[in-house]
Amino acid sequence: MSKTRFLILLLGSLGSWSAARAQDVVLVANKGVQISEITNADLRAIFLGTRTRFADGSHAVPVTLKGGPVHEVFLKSHVGESPEEFRSEWRKVIFTGQGAMPKAFDTESALIEYVAATPGAVGYVSLISSQDRVKVLAAVK
Amino acid sequence: MHIVHRMHRFARHLLLFLSVCTCTGSLYAQDAAGIAVHGFVSQGFLFSSNNNYLSMKSSDGSLQWTDGAVTISDSLGDNLHVGIQLHMYQLGEFGGPNLQVDWASGDYRVNDHFGIRAGKVKTVWGLFNDSQDIDAVFLWILLPQGSYPIDHKSFYLAHVGGDVYGALFLGKRAGTLHYDGYAGQATVDLNDGYIKQFADLGLVFTNSLGGKTYGGDLRWETPVKGLDIGSSGNVQAVDGTAPTGSIHLPPTFTPSMYAKFSRGKVYLAAEYDREPINATITIGSTAIPYVADGRSWFAMGSYRLSKKFQAGSYYSHYVNKAADTTQPANYSKDWVLSGRYDFNSYFYAKIEGHFLHGTDLGYYTSTNPNGLAPDSKMLAAKIGFTF
Repeated sequence: MSKTRFLILLLGSLGSWSAARAQDVVLVANKGVQISEITNADLRAIFLGTRTRFADGSHAVPVTLKGGPVHEVFLKSHVGESPEEFRSEWRKVIFTGQGAMPKAFDTESALIEYVAATPGAVGYVSLISSQDRVKVLAAVK
Repeated sequence: MHIVHRMHRFARHLLLFLSVCTCTGSLYAQDAAGIAVHGFVSQGFLFSSNNNYLSMKSSDGSLQWTDGAVTISDSLGDNLHVGIQLHMYQLGEFGGPNLQVDWASGDYRVNDHFGIRAGKVKTVWGLFNDSQDIDAVFLWILLPQGSYPIDHKSFYLAHVGGDVYGALFLGKRAGTLHYDGYAGQATVDLNDGYIKQFADLGLVFTNSLGGKTYGGDLRWETPVKGLDIGSSGNVQAVDGTAPTGSIHLPPTFTPSMYAKFSRGKVYLAAEYDREPINATITIGSTAIPYVADGRSWFAMGSYRLSKKFQAGSYYSHYVNKAADTTQPANYSKDWVLSGRYDFNSYFYAKIEGHFLHGTDLGYYTSTNPNGLAPDSKMLAAKIGFTF
């Protein structure tokens, strides 16, 4: 890894992404996922638990970050909810016995590690995170 | 008072337990080998200018409002999910020290269009029936009481039986239809407000009441972003026998129609419900017909002023059309202002003011022996913790 890339990753992990934008958020999936692109409608349905499958019928396992600007931008851009609304929606699901919350990770590296190892997993990271071990999906409206 | 002391002690122990669970700094459920544990606990305060509300001595200010639950769940494969929620609450003279099972079910999701739940399952009806006990997800301390009476929650909240549910994706231009249908048995818990109302009439039940129930909900997630429209219907029968009498309610249909709009910082919702009752209460050898035609509706709105602060208002309207609706005893109209502050992801506080006209809902003879004033102003406050 070059020194420049290392420094960028270090700064990113220290939470300097206070002004993340939609184009700085990358959708990542397990390399076994067949689709190459996904609509915002499908992302919303998957991350809110309405859908459990991708458009090709394969099983989808959504994963999230626990917080931070990348999490916020992803939710607003692709799910149409604020982190507070998202958390509230899932609390309703959990406390009514209608499902389980998506796995959530403290760091992007942990999320990538899980996505790489879990068939059907789909999540999101910042542009600077290494995406070598996962598949990048294009988001379409 | 002894029970209140025990409830407060339980709440402190539960709060300590929940705090220990989160001592790792995690804001999410504790997860060991796939098992997820979630919980919530809240403590409320109520003061009323006139009358005593919800069996509390609220005219003096009351802290008899404690609530706590733990949910344990696990996913056994991609399609099967099981869980249980244990709940304890004290609301004035309702509730008690015993843990209750809010729900305990297995959920097998065949695909996104069809799934089955069985066990003790929360009942989907209207906007909030299945979530009315989850204080953490609402801005409001009290939901509109004409539609979601907190003192009768244990009866309406869940049924023992089965549900079928799913979603039909109609495309970008037509949205998504969500459905839920159920059948089973619903029980009036001995700590419920209805039991207390019967006791005030001289009919003391020592065994739970209940009967068959069935119904369904159809919810349209429209193509307009944030707009949902839906309708529910429930059929419920109730029978119960006490040492001095009995009650019989034949199968009764209760419809609900609702709409919700949520986009960005704005939330709007409205609902109309009807509950016609044609029951027979027998005390000794005397059969007393009880007829009511409850019509309720509410309109609410809220705005998120910041990530941590949300404020809103609602108007709740309830009348018994089978009686003289000019009499305060036959209606309940409530203007409400609320505010909620989230200290972080799991601690929150709420404050709420009620301008309540009418006395048909939430009042009990035993806690208002000198009669009722037609109007009351109330101040409610709550702090809560959830993870």
